[in-house]
Amino acid sequence: MTLTLQRKICVLGGFSVGKTSLVRRYVESIFSDAYLTTVGVKIDKKTVELRDRIVHLILWDVAGEDDISSLRMSYLRGAAGYLLVADGTRPSTLEVALSIRQRVEADFGPLPFSLLLNKHDLSEQWAIGDAEFEALRQKGWWVRSSSARTGENVEDAFTDLAARVAG
Amino acid sequence: MEGLPASVADRLQALTFSERAVAYLQIDDDLTLIGAGGHLAAYGLEGLRLGEPAVAQAGFLEGLLPLIETPYVVPSVELAAGRAADLHFDRDGDSIWLVLLDVTAERNAARRVQQKAYDMTLLQEKEALLNRKLEAANAALLATQRELEASREALLEAHAKVQAQAAELASWNKTLEERVAAQLGEIDRMARLKRFLAPSLAELIVSSGDERILESHRRDISVLFCDLRGFTSFAESAEPEEVMELLHDYHRVLVPLIQSFEGTLDRFVGDGLMVFFNDPLPCPNPAERAVRLAVGMRDAMAALAAAWRRRGHQIGFGIGIAQGFATLGQIGFEGRFDYSAIGTVINTAARLCEAAKDGQILVTSRIATAIGDIADLGDIGLLTIRGLSRPLPISNVVSLKVEQRRQVG
Repeated sequence: MTLTLQRKICVLGGFSVGKTSLVRRYVESIFSDAYLTTVGVKIDKKTVELRDRIVHLILWDVAGEDDISSLRMSYLRGAAGYLLVADGTRPSTLEVALSIRQRVEADFGPLPFSLLLNKHDLSEQWAIGDAEFEALRQKGWWVRSSSARTGENVEDAFTDLAARVAG
Repeated sequence: MEGLPASVADRLQALTFSERAVAYLQIDDDLTLIGAGGHLAAYGLEGLRLGEPAVAQAGFLEGLLPLIETPYVVPSVELAAGRAADLHFDRDGDSIWLVLLDVTAERNAARRVQQKAYDMTLLQEKEALLNRKLEAANAALLATQRELEASREALLEAHAKVQAQAAELASWNKTLEERVAAQLGEIDRMARLKRFLAPSLAELIVSSGDERILESHRRDISVLFCDLRGFTSFAESAEPEEVMELLHDYHRVLVPLIQSFEGTLDRFVGDGLMVFFNDPLPCPNPAERAVRLAVGMRDAMAALAAAWRRRGHQIGFGIGIAQGFATLGQIGFEGRFDYSAIGTVINTAARLCEAAKDGQILVTSRIATAIGDIADLGDIGLLTIRGLSRPLPISNVVSLKVEQRRQVG
């Protein structure tokens, strides 16, 4: 009998890095260029069928904040893992993502997470060097470039994270 | 609702319920849904089943239960259809109450403000990025400008160098032109000097650059006159071509001899020649040179006369030599200058030449005295010369003494 699980996953990162677009691409296979900032949190659900289990992912798309001290940690309560998102065309957002990871780890311990360097379709504006990217992978993290526009690595990121939080 | 009249409190409750789309869930300690009500559909919570696990039916509860603290609020949660609610968790006895209050309007208002702030921040980031790009482009432009300026300076430097080289070339050209002009002048002077000087003497004068020696002056010179005997009658009877041929042979033989003794050839007049020594360049023993030349001429003419005799022409050759002061210098006008000597000594030499028979070299006593050691002389006696008040003692140079001939030869 296939085991069915439900897991809460938070999507975290600075503002305008594409968190909502990634969730929308993943859940509804839709992408829109229009930027609409998220206030509070937006909850979606997506079911992932793994080899031996079915996982209902409860996706908490948390509003991005410039200042991570403004991040409402109450949204993270009960999360099994999280997806960190940075904008590959704005290097400062990678710093924000790394700070969020530290804060989450300080408050909730080492949860499974993945790191997406989003907007990889904007290759001319891409600002993350190969060396920097490799340095992140060297930490043993699951790191990928991604694009909500093209779908690059979107499915993989959530599926991989689902497998880890369902383990 | 404390302090409010019951009717107002009821009214307020009714307003809140409708305006804030109040909904609730009641969950027991086993996380079973035991109650639900209010505007559930507004939050996508229709079709809930009481008595079944709450978290499986309302996924957003995943991880939030059981409650760690109470009351507990999760603000501004968008569950469905764009509607946002604050989730209020409260424990009451054995139950957990979750009340959902619509905050969509507040959320939307906050979103408008935040959207503007974020848009502004993004614009500022883009502006900063553009500024950095502009600065980089500006720096690149400045670098290019500096390179261009350096290139321009290099070009100006090269231009100045080319100008300097051109000026140098012009200077060299001018020097060259001056040299050519000087050399042409030298060639011209040389051509004039060679008319009466031995080529070596002409070159000497030209190379010294000093032609003052050609200016009018007096000097003690030895003068040699020679001409042919029987030339006038030959010229009258012979064809002009023959006459010219004879003169040509005559000059061909004598002129190189004159030059070899470095004599100054004053003039050709038909078959007559005048040569003098010690001017324009001084020479040692001018009398001796004149006599040596005369003997050389006589020997050469003897061979030539023999050849002419074989062709039927009786031609003889006589020479007169005198020594004395004469006035010398260039005579003539621009384009036609001759270097010539004037004085009694010229006349004397000419008269001695006239008097000389074929093969004779008649010399004055001064010449005879000067050459006594090198030549054998025959006494001719006194000779009256036109223009001179008294006759002169004259000698004939018979031959050079043997050892002297060898020297001459």
